[in-house]
Amino acid sequence: MMDLPKEKLLSMYKTMVAIRGFEESLAEAVTAGTLPGFVHLGVGQEAVHVGVCSALRPTDWMSSTHRDHGMILARGADIKRMRAEIFGKATGYCKGKGGSMHLAVYDKRATGCNGILGPSQTINNGVALALKREGQGNIAAVVFGDGAAHRGEFHEALNFAACWKLPALAICVNNHYAISVCFDDACSVDDIAARAAGYGIPGLVADGNDVMAVYEAVSQTAKIIREGKGPALLELKTSRWRGHFEGDPQPYRTPEQLATDKKKDPIARFAKQLLEQGLATDAELQALKVQADQELQEAIEFTDKSDYPGPEELFTDLFYTERRAV
Amino acid sequence: MQPIGIIANPASGKDIRRLVAYGSVFDNNEKVNIVRRLLLGLDAVGVREVLFMPDYFGIGVRALENLEVGLKAGFLDMAMEGIQDDSTLAAAKLNELGAACIITLGGDGTNRAVAKACGDTPVLPISTGTNNVFPAMIESTLAGIAAGLLCTHPSFRETCVRRMPRLDIHNNAKLVDLALVDVVTSPPGFIASRALWDVSSIRDIFLARFEAGHIGFSSVGGHLGLAPRSDQGLHLVIGDNGREVLAPIAPGLIRWVKIQSCRPIDPGEAIPILPTPGLAALDGERELVVKAGDQLTVSLNLDGPQVVDTSETIRQAASEGFFIKPIVRS
Repeated sequence: MMDLPKEKLLSMYKTMVAIRGFEESLAEAVTAGTLPGFVHLGVGQEAVHVGVCSALRPTDWMSSTHRDHGMILARGADIKRMRAEIFGKATGYCKGKGGSMHLAVYDKRATGCNGILGPSQTINNGVALALKREGQGNIAAVVFGDGAAHRGEFHEALNFAACWKLPALAICVNNHYAISVCFDDACSVDDIAARAAGYGIPGLVADGNDVMAVYEAVSQTAKIIREGKGPALLELKTSRWRGHFEGDPQPYRTPEQLATDKKKDPIARFAKQLLEQGLATDAELQALKVQADQELQEAIEFTDKSDYPGPEELFTDLFYTERRAV
Repeated sequence: MQPIGIIANPASGKDIRRLVAYGSVFDNNEKVNIVRRLLLGLDAVGVREVLFMPDYFGIGVRALENLEVGLKAGFLDMAMEGIQDDSTLAAAKLNELGAACIITLGGDGTNRAVAKACGDTPVLPISTGTNNVFPAMIESTLAGIAAGLLCTHPSFRETCVRRMPRLDIHNNAKLVDLALVDVVTSPPGFIASRALWDVSSIRDIFLARFEAGHIGFSSVGGHLGLAPRSDQGLHLVIGDNGREVLAPIAPGLIRWVKIQSCRPIDPGEAIPILPTPGLAALDGERELVVKAGDQLTVSLNLDGPQVVDTSETIRQAASEGFFIKPIVRS
């Protein structure tokens, strides 16, 4: 059912470890006061990031939310340019103009993180329509949270994608909290995936803390979409370990709930699976962690040495070019 | 009067089989409706108390909302973790409390979890999906009536409850797990999304039951045309140089399966799971990672769960006049 070579499995593990380290380093920077603005971290959701991106083809397109730096890293983006972008440096992917919440990497076919939740699905439909016209069998995947699934755009986008049989994969990452609102208090059904039935498309739930379960679910769903059978809705149940944003005191959940969530650590779980099946040794996994830490350190140094964009950059790279004259 | 236990699994009916095998989607709101009809059936034949397993969706709580029944409903005092072990713990508690019957709503996986701890308490399994062999697709009103009759008239237990076999999995002679219908082995791999649907990856099929007319891997044995026996299981080795059998291994998935060899399994006979390492799926779900050097065996155990025959219970009750009011002449 899944026959992945050891190299790919180890690479997936390393990416998960790298994402965790990357996100935790951002948390430290916020605490130290060196990273201003809102930052939303995806610590605890690494299985989603890596499972989804490993199952997509490099020629597919993908868009995500403000909590998905990991998604773009898993897509193969350069960690140095990623960090530089989040710190607003000119060497970043968007020359420091996108920052954490609007980070896009077009050469990795990642339309980017989107701070506006809900409309990303309708934007994704546009990408999917273009891909359908292109006819190369590529799909457009969009990742959004459980909060966004309660917005009108979610329903509009699924209906439109179903009517037009678009090659669109809607992935709801249900981490149980929409900012501070608990999923149990905000949803009339216990699975967002159940709503797929209302649009006549497949809907399924997978364990978002198990990278291989995510990989398999996305692979199988993508296969059906590539065959021209129309869109699908996949719900990945997971948890975020940190607040909605860095600095969020989280009065809406207890330390005990958080401790329970942390017991489902996707990285520890994947390590256990690899060791259990003899696909890796402790030494190999440790070496990958050392390698990821080293690359992160280089990214930190790269970012620190990089400059901020100059004032002359203020009106460049706009879609509306006339504004340059302002 | 003994209470009736209800274990409704909110997690069943939504896995990857909805995609790869055209399985039916079973939303939890539908499970609430099923439980409502179940409670009405139980109430109609005089059941006084039901005990629910608590669950994260609140199937029991929602089913009781605005429902006019005379019976008393309560919830087991247990912590729930939202995992299959909840069902095992609930079954153990209901068995300890002397429940007349445990009604389950779920698939083969839910019933496997219940069978681990229900002891001799009869089980009435209601299927909440299309991919199950152990639980039947039955109308819950009828299930409520049948379970209720078992509660109010324990004598039905003698004639309307059947002992089913199970497959035990031992590691170095220690019982590590069980399956109610089938154990299917495959080369090493990840448990991942659990379901099993690719016949090209299968090594062996062990069956506790193999009647024709069922869905799932038991149909492979069932379609061989052998006379079903309640005291024997079946071991099929998958491979070339043998017969091919057309079997519905999952809803909408009808596949040719190559049978290299086939032989009966006698009770108590321990057949090793070889070669190692590998993966074992229990009742259709990848469940056990078999490590290199593991000494795992499969054996048929005729002392499986006791299962209520819904139709037979109602038929017997009808023949004994249970549903008729005497004519009162004025």
